[in-house]
Amino acid sequence: MEEIVTRQHYSEQEKNDIFNNEFLPHINSMYNFGFRLTLDRDDTKDLVQDTYLKAYRFVESFQKGTNAKAWLFRILKNSFINDYRKKTKEPSKVDYQEVETYYNSEDVNRQITPDLRVESLKDMIGDEISNALNSLDVDFRTVIILCDLEGFKYEEMAKILDIPIGTVRSRLHRARALLKEKLSEYAKTMGYKNTEL
Amino acid sequence: MTPPHNPFILADGKKPTCMEMLQLILDGEATAEQQHYFKVHMDKCMPCFKTYSLDATIKELLQDKCCKDVAPAELIEQIKLQISQNQAG
Repeated sequence: MEEIVTRQHYSEQEKNDIFNNEFLPHINSMYNFGFRLTLDRDDTKDLVQDTYLKAYRFVESFQKGTNAKAWLFRILKNSFINDYRKKTKEPSKVDYQEVETYYNSEDVNRQITPDLRVESLKDMIGDEISNALNSLDVDFRTVIILCDLEGFKYEEMAKILDIPIGTVRSRLHRARALLKEKLSEYAKTMGYKNTEL
Repeated sequence: MTPPHNPFILADGKKPTCMEMLQLILDGEATAEQQHYFKVHMDKCMPCFKTYSLDATIKELLQDKCCKDVAPAELIEQIKLQISQNQAG
């Protein structure tokens, strides 16, 4: 999914204004995204710092007034893949196309319907939700962060992740099913014996 | 009586599953026509009704419990310092 980038010409003052007014306001979301990807505070600081320095260096690829948050998230995601993913303790990489094709079959979708109730979810404290999210493989985790935590639209997610919208939708569907499985396990350990939907 | 037109049906004629419709609604990606169709559908479809409540609750919990990280002040200062040093260099 190649995009044509039109270079802008900004004065030093304009660059600083863009950085301070359009980039820096997103730093908490960027920090949260970085942490949810790396699961390590020190790596998160390095990743966010690298991202902001790259954003400043390549600011002329950014058109003032457009979606700065999506632009920054895309840089952070690429930096994570290129520089951090190798050293992050992740389960072995799987072929997601294969996984997505397999899990989109109707038979499998029927099998993975989790046993979970709204009442048991509401009794969970923050840690269970956070731990369940963090336990997902990074590609599934990422779509939930972008959609549910950060509120990006499918089209924006497709651009951030360099994948087709159809893949965004199917990956999100699978990620939510996996998250519900994790939450269902927590609900059972909390004593919700009858957790059938 | 002919069934109401399903606005979720794609150009290729493929009929979406309940879960596919529900996801578009939950994520705010459905058109006004699709929202209306789904509301009528959900009144008659118990699995959709239950799953919608569950998925909406999970989405709310994620927003409530997993978005509270604040970037440390020293990180912001460090970034600003690096940029001013790069400009000076």
